[in-house]
Amino acid sequence: MSKIFIVEDDASIRTELSQLLENAGYLTETLTSFDDPKEKILASNSDLILLDINLPKINGEMLLKELRKVSETPVIMVTSRTSETDEVLSMSYGADDYITKPYNPTILLLRISAVLKRASKTGTNQTYRDLQVNMAKGSLSSDKDEIILTKNEMIIFQLLLDKQGEIVTRDELMTALWDNDEYVNDNALTVNVSRLRAKLSGFGYDDAVETRKKQGYVLK
Amino acid sequence: MRFTEFFRDRYFTYISCALTFAVMLVFMKAFHIQIQLIIIIGVIFWLMVIIGETWEFLRKRKFYNDLFDKLDSLDKKYLISEMLMSPGFYEGQLLCEILHQTDKSMYENAAEYRRSASEFREFIEMWVHEIKLPVSSLLLMTHNNKSEFSGKALEQLRRIDGYTDTVLYYARSENAEKDYLINDVSLKRTVSNVAVKNRESLLLRDVSLHTEGLDVNVLTDGKWLEFILGQLLSNSLKFFPEGRNAEIKISAEKFQDRTVLRFRDNGIGIPENDLPYIFEKSFTGENGRLGAGSTGMGLYIVKNLCSRLGHEISVNSIKNEFTEFEIIFTKNDFYKFE
Repeated sequence: MSKIFIVEDDASIRTELSQLLENAGYLTETLTSFDDPKEKILASNSDLILLDINLPKINGEMLLKELRKVSETPVIMVTSRTSETDEVLSMSYGADDYITKPYNPTILLLRISAVLKRASKTGTNQTYRDLQVNMAKGSLSSDKDEIILTKNEMIIFQLLLDKQGEIVTRDELMTALWDNDEYVNDNALTVNVSRLRAKLSGFGYDDAVETRKKQGYVLK
Repeated sequence: MRFTEFFRDRYFTYISCALTFAVMLVFMKAFHIQIQLIIIIGVIFWLMVIIGETWEFLRKRKFYNDLFDKLDSLDKKYLISEMLMSPGFYEGQLLCEILHQTDKSMYENAAEYRRSASEFREFIEMWVHEIKLPVSSLLLMTHNNKSEFSGKALEQLRRIDGYTDTVLYYARSENAEKDYLINDVSLKRTVSNVAVKNRESLLLRDVSLHTEGLDVNVLTDGKWLEFILGQLLSNSLKFFPEGRNAEIKISAEKFQDRTVLRFRDNGIGIPENDLPYIFEKSFTGENGRLGAGSTGMGLYIVKNLCSRLGHEISVNSIKNEFTEFEIIFTKNDFYKFE
């Protein structure tokens, strides 16, 4: 289970954010006093840091710069500062992503999982039952057979696979597709899921993707 | 400076000269001075007057003509006091003194306003950052506590966020300070950010979004461009007629010296009469009167931001068919070396 460290000075956001992340299955740790934040962050041994820019006593960008001298832990800047300068500066100091407040919680979760995946370098070659998932080729293959998935189908399959056995809501799938420049509508999503289902049937997994009414889909 | 005006202005001097000469004539007559001598004195007297007046006219003309020439060529006329040549005569010195003093007072006054405007803008920036905190907090709460009420709340929160951004960018666009950062921005990423932010509104109104050729980078401020596209999008969404396959198409085309970004919808369009005015402040036009709370500020701010970033924006529309905005990003190598 990945641990996420939240550096956020607004108490209400901090609480809600912890809850959001815990609901999504992460461990969280927060900072309540801002004396010597760098040491506390390093001591926590987290897998990812969510860092605000406007902090008491210290500027988040400076903190990031300090952190990068000793640690390669992924950092996502989460801030209400909406200027290009802040974003460019943060990225040049080594941030892995930059998200402005108020953000869509689903997007935040997607970005977190993307950054974590990149950091752990897994996900390039996952498996589903006896199928190999080739991200680069965008295909599923068994010993005998290989089927090419479209970009949309791959995004959907990927998300379902990451949360195998759990419900993935249509909203999450939609957000993931849009976040990858695929501006599909409700019908198109349904069509894409059916096609994915058909392709999985081709390997003999007839009920791989199960529909849960009014909730979403589950990959079994 | 014209001689006739100068001459008329000094008529009192000439009258007193004439009187003096008349009195002299009377005395000279009384002392039986020879007529030849009187003529010589007369000629010398009037010659001195003419020479004196001409010299006076010339030196003043030199000063004032120079002054007016500089005034004509100046873009900011109040800078004239910095450019004055030193006048060789008393009145000119007085004039200079007056100009310097009024200028100084004007500068102080302007500085006072500039300072208060910039303080106000700083306050707005700070306020906007602060208001975004409770909005973020509410968004998270809504997400964490899903109910049938969540969707509606989200929509309203997004509205709040949109209006706050308008205030922020209005303050930014009106300010003379350079608070943008030009760098290589991916159009794909910018459009994606805007699309994701407006996904619910687009789907709610059943608008399909198409993109084309966005794999290009342009020199701009990414955040400003996001706001600009966000405004165009929210305008489009306001005015889609019922029962039509609503479509928005965002496309880019790269030319040798520029990149053109086109934003096109097949909405109600803009009446031809309104087209030339849509970027003007507070202009709402025929569409604005259809309701939906038009303030006439959105496109004004968009235009302002574009011109500050050095982009050209233009619009083309046919009523009831389409509206197309075109933003032209010129390649400017100047920025690259900054």
